[in-house]
Amino acid sequence: MSNDRFDNLKNLRAPEPDAAAKARALEQAMAAFDTEQATKASDTTQGLRDRDRPMGIFNQIQGWFKMDARIPVAATLSALLILPLGVMLMQSSSFTPPRQAVVPLNAPQPVPQTGGRSEVEEADGALAQNEAPMLLADEAESDFNLAPPPGEVVRDQMGQVAASPEVQAMDAPAETRTRETSETLTAAPSPEPMPMVKMEGYSDDQIAMPAEGGGDRFAEFDDAAVKVVADEPVSTFSIDVDTASYTYMRRALSEGRLPDPASIRVEELINYFDYEYAVPNDPNEPFATDIQVMPSPWDEGKQVIRIGLQGYEPAPADREPVNLVFLIDTSGSMDAPDKLPLLKSAFRLLVDQLDADDTISIVTYAGSAGTVLEPTPASERREILGALDRLSAGGSTAGAAGIEAAYQWAEEGEREGVTSRVILATDGDFNVGLSSPDALTELISDKREAGIFLSVLGFGTGNLNDAVMQALAQNGNGTAHYIDNYREAQRVLVDEVGATLMPIASDVKVQVEFNPAEVAEYRLIGYETRALNREDFNNDRVDAGDVGAGLSVTALYEITPVGSDSVLTDPLRYGDAEEQGTVNANEGELGFFKLRYKLPSESDSALYTQAITDDLAVDTISEADIDARFALAVAAFGQKLRHTVSADTVSFAEIRDLALGARGEDPAGYRSEFLSLIDLAESLVGE
Amino acid sequence: MDVSAPIEGVAETSSAMMEALVVRARNGDREAFGELVAEQYDFIFRTAFKWCGSREDAEDVAQDVCIKLPRILSGFEGRSAFQSWLYRVVLNAVRDMQRQRGRHNKRNRPMDDETLAVAAPEPENADDEELWIAVRQLPARQCDSVLLVYAEQKSHAEAAAILGCSEGTVSYHLHEARKALRTLLTSETS
Repeated sequence: MSNDRFDNLKNLRAPEPDAAAKARALEQAMAAFDTEQATKASDTTQGLRDRDRPMGIFNQIQGWFKMDARIPVAATLSALLILPLGVMLMQSSSFTPPRQAVVPLNAPQPVPQTGGRSEVEEADGALAQNEAPMLLADEAESDFNLAPPPGEVVRDQMGQVAASPEVQAMDAPAETRTRETSETLTAAPSPEPMPMVKMEGYSDDQIAMPAEGGGDRFAEFDDAAVKVVADEPVSTFSIDVDTASYTYMRRALSEGRLPDPASIRVEELINYFDYEYAVPNDPNEPFATDIQVMPSPWDEGKQVIRIGLQGYEPAPADREPVNLVFLIDTSGSMDAPDKLPLLKSAFRLLVDQLDADDTISIVTYAGSAGTVLEPTPASERREILGALDRLSAGGSTAGAAGIEAAYQWAEEGEREGVTSRVILATDGDFNVGLSSPDALTELISDKREAGIFLSVLGFGTGNLNDAVMQALAQNGNGTAHYIDNYREAQRVLVDEVGATLMPIASDVKVQVEFNPAEVAEYRLIGYETRALNREDFNNDRVDAGDVGAGLSVTALYEITPVGSDSVLTDPLRYGDAEEQGTVNANEGELGFFKLRYKLPSESDSALYTQAITDDLAVDTISEADIDARFALAVAAFGQKLRHTVSADTVSFAEIRDLALGARGEDPAGYRSEFLSLIDLAESLVGE
Repeated sequence: MDVSAPIEGVAETSSAMMEALVVRARNGDREAFGELVAEQYDFIFRTAFKWCGSREDAEDVAQDVCIKLPRILSGFEGRSAFQSWLYRVVLNAVRDMQRQRGRHNKRNRPMDDETLAVAAPEPENADDEELWIAVRQLPARQCDSVLLVYAEQKSHAEAAAILGCSEGTVSYHLHEARKALRTLLTSETS
């Protein structure tokens, strides 16, 4: 199809309107106008205003279980910092199984925020009520008798034009008139984790005989529930480019242990791998999307939406100079071959990636030491490596002082065009600043606001505090990696050094609105710990994940199309059959994808949108691109290790088949390695 | 991703007068409303025709829009040009009509002679006619993008403002439309 051919379209001529038809239409328009004026006059007495509508109790209850990312971070972190002390006491005093000390940190917090939320949703619900475009105006109003004030009526029809797209105008109100009633159904499909029998055996072993790694601590979280589109058409989450969960799992399996289910964050498993998405070439539009819809290999009645985001990768030469502060844990627990020695090798690799414009300083937070190396140009290689080599583990911790010193050097090195970043390396023994844990979070958040990032590298097992690593990195706009071996150090600090050192976008949020005319139910796979409230998407003050140069992010939704046998919920008896045909949804669209991000050094977010149209769908799984198939295999594997119920029906053999067929060229061998992990897991589970 | 760009194509003065009419109509001025609808009917009908390809359907859509206007007019807040707002209203009405008639799944619908006959009463040549019909079979957003940019000669920014999306999305839909049309047109000729 050439452009020229399209140009012919301008020859398209419409005939003259028919005079009689025009007269008829004008006459009816005037009649509608008169009706409208009459309605307006009596508006104050008519029907229930939407904000006065009775609200079901389930609305409120459901609101409490919504995760509010702004609140738990501080609360969770303080809990996390206190928790280790409890664990250590128990470990040192008895053989108390560590599992008993693990508290589900992400237990639903009753956040009575329903007021604000429901107002938004009620408003949308009200819009849906007026989704009767084909009805005559007067008909519509007498039928529903719920006409909101005129100012709101309008948005249903053309909010998309009248409002700027920055507003949530594209959230075509797709909710039903009977929201309150249908809320009751959301509780039903939430899958309780149902451990397989053999998995149970594994857990018991762990408790009876704490293997290595038994002291590692993970925040538990619930699997994302299946959502009914009619109730909750909008899904919002922060992206997550960490990979710590994958490497931790790899290490556990390699050592013959099944990883703690709580340690598996499926999105981190998926995002560990490179995918060949189209690459954006404009730093000001730093993401390219690659969306594909495919049938679920595990359930005929379901489909999977793969949303691939590829970040812009500036040429290495374009990297801005960095001012790095290595904040290194040298407490006694770091005295193990896979901790301090591996850490030194890792940092040596990183030093080799830097040049004369970059500066490095080293601060320890154990013993009496503080600053080991003042800011030094990275070209002074010998001096830096010498200082690294002299590090030794031992002594008690003087944590708070170390962190303060690290930030001091980070600030000192701040110059125009230089990114300052603290890289914290630890085995997770984060008994620093215990006297005032909130102060630490605040410090990290404050410094982030001031432009100093914090990334975390985790080492070793037995003491790893994954939850604290996550919380610190997220507060510091950085990533959390778990370095299980030298090869991983190479991957994080050499192969992907750009991603580690060069942020291309911050506060990256994804929102997907599903079209209730096409999709009955959906489930976001992974990202449980990154869920955001719907209104957080447009709120630039709500923090979210950051993306470094060249990284890709993948999210998978499992969806159940309308009319599928796999729909878990029954249709509503008092539903909206007559509205089905007139819902203001673009046909052929499964949903609408929105991405928000802030470019580096900007405080206002930019918006990217794309319809998830049915033309992005393939008919069979084998037609899906290999990246989509591989991501699906990884997702299934992760969900199996997490005991997520929906993946129980999938065998390791099936996962292996899917992954094997999607291995591709695999130059670095990561996908092949994943295949071997499947075998290890299978033999450990004994399936 | 600036979509606040003004829509051109309507002469400055007439567009200013139009906005004044809109304000008066919104405030309940019956005469102004009558004038506004009379003035805009031809635009509404022509747009509807280009999207539907049939006089009968276009008249239905135009009438529907006319009837809806009094109710929805108060929602026009003047943040975009009236003309682009009206485009959107018409396009939505076209979709609603197609959906109501169960004709929306056009891509799988075999071409019937009747459609061909009414699609372009004044065909310049058979190739164009075939192209127009194919374009109307595209998914809604692709069809909108192609018709706005090529048939209505709008810039990407103008089309984006009308469709309430970003310019990038318009480009994306055009790109997808090209791919889809290649298939549609080759399958028809073969």
